[in-house]
Amino acid sequence: MTMRYLFLFLVALLAQRSSAFCGFYVARADATLFNDRSEVILVRDGQRTIVTMSNDFQGDVKDFAMVVPVPVVLRQQDIRIVDRRVFGMLDAYSSPRLVEYHDENPCYPQVLYDSVQEESLMRVPTANASRMKAEAKDLGVTIEAQYAVGEYDILILSATESTGLKQWLIQNGYRIPDTAHEVLDPYIRSNLKFFVVKVDVSRLQLTGSNLLRPIQIRYDSHKFMLPIRLGMANSKGSQDMVVYAFTRTGRVECVNYRTVKVPTDRNIPLFVKQKFGPFYKDLFARAHRREGRNVVFLEYAWNVTPSFGGMKCDPCVGPPPMPREFAEAGVDWGGQNGGGGQVFFTRLHVRYGREKFPQDLVFQVTPNTEHFQARYVLTNPATGDLSCASGQDYLEELYYRRHRELEELQALTGWDITKRQGYLKEVGDRLPAERRNSLPEWNLPLGPNDGGGTGPGTPGTQWPLALGTLLFVLLLLYRLRNAVAHR
Amino acid sequence: MLLQRAFGRAIAFLQRDARHFQVLFLAGFLLYGILALGWDAEWPRYAILIGTALSVQSLFIRWKGVAWSSLKSALITGLGMSLLLKAGSPWTLALGAAVAISSKFLVRWDGKHIFNPGNLGIAAAVLFTGDAWVSPGQWGSGAMLVFLVGAAGGMVVLRVGRIDTSIAFLGTFALLELLRTVLYLGWGMDVWLHRLMNGSLLLFTFFMITDPMTTPRSQAARIYWSMGVALLAFMLSWKYWINAAPIWALLIFCAINPVLDHFRKGAAFQWTATPPTITPLRTN
Repeated sequence: MTMRYLFLFLVALLAQRSSAFCGFYVARADATLFNDRSEVILVRDGQRTIVTMSNDFQGDVKDFAMVVPVPVVLRQQDIRIVDRRVFGMLDAYSSPRLVEYHDENPCYPQVLYDSVQEESLMRVPTANASRMKAEAKDLGVTIEAQYAVGEYDILILSATESTGLKQWLIQNGYRIPDTAHEVLDPYIRSNLKFFVVKVDVSRLQLTGSNLLRPIQIRYDSHKFMLPIRLGMANSKGSQDMVVYAFTRTGRVECVNYRTVKVPTDRNIPLFVKQKFGPFYKDLFARAHRREGRNVVFLEYAWNVTPSFGGMKCDPCVGPPPMPREFAEAGVDWGGQNGGGGQVFFTRLHVRYGREKFPQDLVFQVTPNTEHFQARYVLTNPATGDLSCASGQDYLEELYYRRHRELEELQALTGWDITKRQGYLKEVGDRLPAERRNSLPEWNLPLGPNDGGGTGPGTPGTQWPLALGTLLFVLLLLYRLRNAVAHR
Repeated sequence: MLLQRAFGRAIAFLQRDARHFQVLFLAGFLLYGILALGWDAEWPRYAILIGTALSVQSLFIRWKGVAWSSLKSALITGLGMSLLLKAGSPWTLALGAAVAISSKFLVRWDGKHIFNPGNLGIAAAVLFTGDAWVSPGQWGSGAMLVFLVGAAGGMVVLRVGRIDTSIAFLGTFALLELLRTVLYLGWGMDVWLHRLMNGSLLLFTFFMITDPMTTPRSQAARIYWSMGVALLAFMLSWKYWINAAPIWALLIFCAINPVLDHFRKGAAFQWTATPPTITPLRTN
């Protein structure tokens, strides 16, 4: 029963075969961990934007409806349906990864899938078309275009004011929140059109699946942004959005919010292996709080051009996207042989809510080609007989290392590590008593600490605020005093 | 008493030369970025920008026989560029800084340089290399009110710098944004504030457009000129969605400066607080 309001614009591209890496990939934290999330592929090439919106709608498809503000009236050839597996593939390839250092040499089967042929069910629904148009006109709503694409019935609307648009949408079965006019008005004034989508159940059945497929739209516009405000009108708390962006030149970054890297390359305890999903989820939540809840996180950035000769990932979490996937995602400069130009892949993850995100997300393409991945490291201890002197030294060092891993874990996730004394003890127990007793008594900073900054301000903003204010007051007092003295 | 005297001396030091305040403030904000916003791993970038700016300035000092104190100006340019310009290659950064400083000596009209050095350096790096960019979002909006109050307050209280250009620019820009964002489009005030509380915009307002050497000499001309920059920046950002619009707007307006000065003569600026009757110093 959820209604999704999304909006999107931007970027693009290709990836490669995994080559040398020194770790063994063991788990990933994929986007499905996060509830109330949406995924978007943005391809940006010059002024052209190709947006693909995933559709994870779970309810009765008859209830599905989506309203997306778009900058231009889209033509039929600008709208298509793509294989939903593209999202899973991009997610798998770019998601935060857990790497295990081990003797084993990892190998990843190159799994490829065949892209589903887009169906050309381009019948335009005409049943109620003339009545709809007449009603729309009375409400100041113009139906600019009407298409049937795959299982979707699509209308492109323009409107003169929000009340009429809202009323029209409600009359036609789109569930619009009461507060929607707050954002509909600005969108109408900004000359945005509304891309509204419903499902034709009979055509969905022809696809042989109950699952709705992603819709892809393309248009030319200066505007490179994602209108997130309409979605907020519908949601009380915060929502997650993962953006897979592709460009020719380099990273995509947010222009009106900070783009921050998630913590990466951290050594964490072995037992996290079984709960990497929850680990990353808590890590993300904590980082989100610490940064003041108003940033966009960078989770992955890599040159994925098929011909790119450098290391692709370390380790690779999934098979690299191939030209066919790029084409499916809307990256149209690679060509089937991938020889058409560089493709840079950026994965952004934003958790947004009304309070901290007053503006829609605006992006820019930068020439920044620095690689980045969210990566967490497990290190397995040596096995076998460690009774020799250097083995004993190793165990002692291992003890210290594990302590650092526990501290790191707590700092990253806020998890209570008091219950994890056993992780240290199993190493300590392997040492002879005299050596074990000489180890420092660890008082793990135990208990869940909430150092993530939960208040409205963050440590990052409070200290300069305090310092600045203090200096300003001092200066002012000094001036006043001097002024009085002169008199 | 000791503290008070130290404080008094610090104030006198800051007032003696407007650049002292600028250096301290810009360095403070750079530190804020590094410590609080995690701009670590960027030290080489700052070193290249500041180092190139100082080196090129030194060369010109030797060549043109300018006062060594003009290194302060180069330091400000280097710091300002560190806060704004990013690039993939160190050569791009060096080019930007070198263009910035040499333009002061090579692109001159009527006894003063035409372009704001940092502004021109950034524009050159972005336009000519395709490897440079400005990240307007890197500041976030959290501490920006501090920046605003600190920069404006400092300039007013210490009576340094040309705050008239800041006020004219930011006032005009804020008003235009208010008209468009809130009154025309119908967004809430929080959207308007969020658009203004942008580190790059405020940095530009207080440390770039205020450069006395590249603003018109007459105060009236200066104010209209600043308003013009604001109007152009506003139009570029809304019409073409150009993200670092003020930078480009200033570049264009600097180019028409000689014309304005031709019609409205005013006293040339000098950095140090010496009596205004003395012949203007060479203050590159």
